[in-house]
Amino acid sequence: MIEHAYLIPLIPFAASLIMMFGAKEDPHSPAPWIGIGAMAICLGLSVSILSAVAGGTVPLPYEHNWHWFSFAASIGGKSFLYDMPIGVLIDGPAAVLLVVVTLVSLMVQIYSVAYMHEDARYKRYFAFVSFFTASMLGLVVSSNILVGFMSWELMGLSSYLLIGFWFEKDGPTEAQKKAFMTTKLGDSGLYLALLFIFAKVGSFQITQIHQFINNGYMTGTVATVIAIGILFGAMGKSAQFPLFIWLPDAMEGPTPGSALIHAATMVAAGIFVVARLYFVFLAAPDAMLAAAWIGCLTAFMAAAMALVSYDIKRVLAFSTVSQLGFMMCALGVGGYTSGLFHLTTHAFFKALLFLGAGSVIHSVHTNDMRLMGGLSKKMPITFLTMGAAILAIAGIPGTSGYYSKDMILANIYYANQPIFWIMLGTALMTAFYMSRLFILTFWGDDRDHEKHHHAHESPFLITGPLVLLAFLALVSGYMLNRNELVYRLLEKPAISAPQAAHAPAAPADVHAAPPADAHAAAPVHEGGAAGHHEGHLPHWLHLALPFLVLGSIGFAFALYKGPRYALADGLKSTFAPAFRVLDRRWYLDDAFDLLVIFCDKVAAAAFWIDANVVDRVFVDGWGLLTRVFAEISNLIDALFVDRTVDGFGGLSLDLGVGLRGLVKEGQVQEYLMYVAIAFSLAATLILTR
Amino acid sequence: MMTAPLTLSHYMIVAGLLFLIGVFGALTRRNIIGILMSIELMFNAANINLVAFDRFLHPEGVTGQALALFVMTVAAAEIVVGLALLLAIYRGTDTVYAEDFNLLKG
Amino acid sequence: MLEQIVFYSLSALVLASALAVVLHRNTVHSSLFLGLSLAGVAGLFAALGADFIFAAQIMVYVSGVAVLVMFVVMLLGRASDLHLRQINERWMAALLVCGVAAVGLFKVARLHSATVATGAARPSTHDIGRLFLGEWLVPFELISLVLLAALLGAVFFTRTENAR
Repeated sequence: MIEHAYLIPLIPFAASLIMMFGAKEDPHSPAPWIGIGAMAICLGLSVSILSAVAGGTVPLPYEHNWHWFSFAASIGGKSFLYDMPIGVLIDGPAAVLLVVVTLVSLMVQIYSVAYMHEDARYKRYFAFVSFFTASMLGLVVSSNILVGFMSWELMGLSSYLLIGFWFEKDGPTEAQKKAFMTTKLGDSGLYLALLFIFAKVGSFQITQIHQFINNGYMTGTVATVIAIGILFGAMGKSAQFPLFIWLPDAMEGPTPGSALIHAATMVAAGIFVVARLYFVFLAAPDAMLAAAWIGCLTAFMAAAMALVSYDIKRVLAFSTVSQLGFMMCALGVGGYTSGLFHLTTHAFFKALLFLGAGSVIHSVHTNDMRLMGGLSKKMPITFLTMGAAILAIAGIPGTSGYYSKDMILANIYYANQPIFWIMLGTALMTAFYMSRLFILTFWGDDRDHEKHHHAHESPFLITGPLVLLAFLALVSGYMLNRNELVYRLLEKPAISAPQAAHAPAAPADVHAAPPADAHAAAPVHEGGAAGHHEGHLPHWLHLALPFLVLGSIGFAFALYKGPRYALADGLKSTFAPAFRVLDRRWYLDDAFDLLVIFCDKVAAAAFWIDANVVDRVFVDGWGLLTRVFAEISNLIDALFVDRTVDGFGGLSLDLGVGLRGLVKEGQVQEYLMYVAIAFSLAATLILTR
Repeated sequence: MMTAPLTLSHYMIVAGLLFLIGVFGALTRRNIIGILMSIELMFNAANINLVAFDRFLHPEGVTGQALALFVMTVAAAEIVVGLALLLAIYRGTDTVYAEDFNLLKG
Repeated sequence: MLEQIVFYSLSALVLASALAVVLHRNTVHSSLFLGLSLAGVAGLFAALGADFIFAAQIMVYVSGVAVLVMFVVMLLGRASDLHLRQINERWMAALLVCGVAAVGLFKVARLHSATVATGAARPSTHDIGRLFLGEWLVPFELISLVLLAALLGAVFFTRTENAR
């Protein structure tokens, strides 16, 4: 089946086109089932590919290229022929991601059939979702990062469309602009990195770039610059500090769309690209350290913001940002396997959380958790499935989040102790705010009786995907972790000459020459099977961690189980300044506003200089000078020349009358005249030169 | 001079003059029919050139003549549609003078 | 010698009647001169040995286009109001443009002042037929589509309001 992998992005793409242009808009349109059918086919393909990859029946990485275009260029007197193939490259992470993306997208689409059924732009929504998924799948399978970048930008476009889906309202349009422009800021970094890669390597093929680095042709500085550029792109797409400001606002879109953005497509793309080009990072230890700290900072700040938010979707958004920080941090400390493992498990439980939140919102028609409460009896299935997701994200032993987060923490522990302690605190905060969300929503008594009265369990099309995702959120970690399958699937790429910066003209037989200074490479060198011990924390921490998590959850219960919230309110008034900072989202939005205002001021100042200094002194001064000369020449003119010219006056007058016809407007012949003038001048001056 | 052998430039000059007369007419006739007639003159000038090129430069083939036939066909189509448009406009505005048609005015 | 006489007289006829087309105040006369000018062009084609084009020119232009123009001129009636000037006030600018273009065209034409015809002219109808039904079949068929479109367009534009 793997030779048909190219079909995986193409099928949903075709489906989205059919739905967009081939179907009529109608609330009961059967068009969504086209997208669902397409996605089911893709899921089947992906699962068969994954099983082949996991079973070891295909050699990895599988790559197949077709001719796309080639062009010649001459640089510095030498001429090159560049060949640009288009193709698929399937390795372990890609195979896993394919299944995750198609599965989550399928669940989201089935869910949306019920969720969006009253919407006026029913089929358009599904076309967007299919298009979004197709872009992501294109990024995942492409063997050429140019095509990958195109998919990446298409994803930006589809996120724009989906976030602003309800464009009649102001909020979504503002949010969509914010998301688009913020991610573009990051994309520009990625774009520069791509240009740099092409300038250095002369190819966009991922395998060739890897080979190039393997041969030790890339110096450390260049690798660092490129890696920072890629990191910038990932910071935009995967919502890392400080570009995560778009993600909370992106909640203005339809909730299932948010689930897609948060779990399967948009934010996973940044992490995936970093993983796809991980060998560049391996050659650039500084960039890895930067990634680790950015991830750490992101995780902590987002988790802190999630502690105080009352909007159920906002809390989930902040938690996504925080979990992405975990992944980025894991990649930064060399935990390739654990980062991608967490990406996989996170996709399941975060999709589940969003879909569950959507189910709740669908039922009570509000996002505010203060107006919920006591929904467990009304919506038992949503309650139970959300509970499973909460357990998973909090990291209760046995659930999927436990395995992946444990592995991340272990990787960090052995790489960088300060980051580890921050991340441990963040993990406990995660457990706390997720339990807080859960308790406020489902537990205790109903705080708003009317909303509570009208609440009801959602239909089967909504609960079905929830149950399936809950199952996966609980067991996927165990299944992947068993027999160390995850290490085989998500095997960390290796570069054979990590520090060969000083040898641009490396010998052809590279692996005969071991790296000269191995100790410098040690922090980033984890070598396949030998590094497995890093996947396990020291024994005492391993045992203590679940109790810490449970304690955190218990603390949340103590604070929020109600019916009175004296303790929570007391805490809030005690730490009021801190709460305000978090409520204002660390003043990052304001910082960006200030930045924009500052740029505006700079532009205004430049304009002032232009208007008052440049124009006054140079332009006006020049004008004055010219006028003086003109006056003098006019005097001479009037005295001597005009007398001569008067003789031609009659002729000029006639010609002037004739030419005056040129300045009328709207006449056909007027335009024809201009054409004729141009033609005659061309014929006379250019053609017969 | 009158007895000098005819060269390609003779035909080209005749065609050029005919073309320029057409251009002049198209630019100055007030009547739309006049403009259309001038355009016909320009087409014919082009045809003279095509046939002359065929005769003088490539006497072994007929490509130039065939091309002239195409030009003729297009010109016929043009005049038919032009006159039909003229009739339609005349019906609407009761004038045939180009300066009265200023719908293109911005 | 005969050749030269034919050429110069035909050229004079073509250019003179073309000038009359452009300058004549009466549009009916203009259209008549158009027919004459087109017939002169047909004569030039004959002088160049293009027999089929000659026939086509007579049939399409002289008996088709010129007559059609005349019909329309007479149909409109107002086209012949003689008291109005038929040349607009831009004539001097147009003359200038034509003068400039004439310089360029003359320079181009001079490049071929030594190119004389080789061999005798021969009938071309047979070759044109072969060309159209062989190598140029597709353009030949396409041009018929153009004619069809022109036909439909003409019918569409000339329909009266109540006929719609």
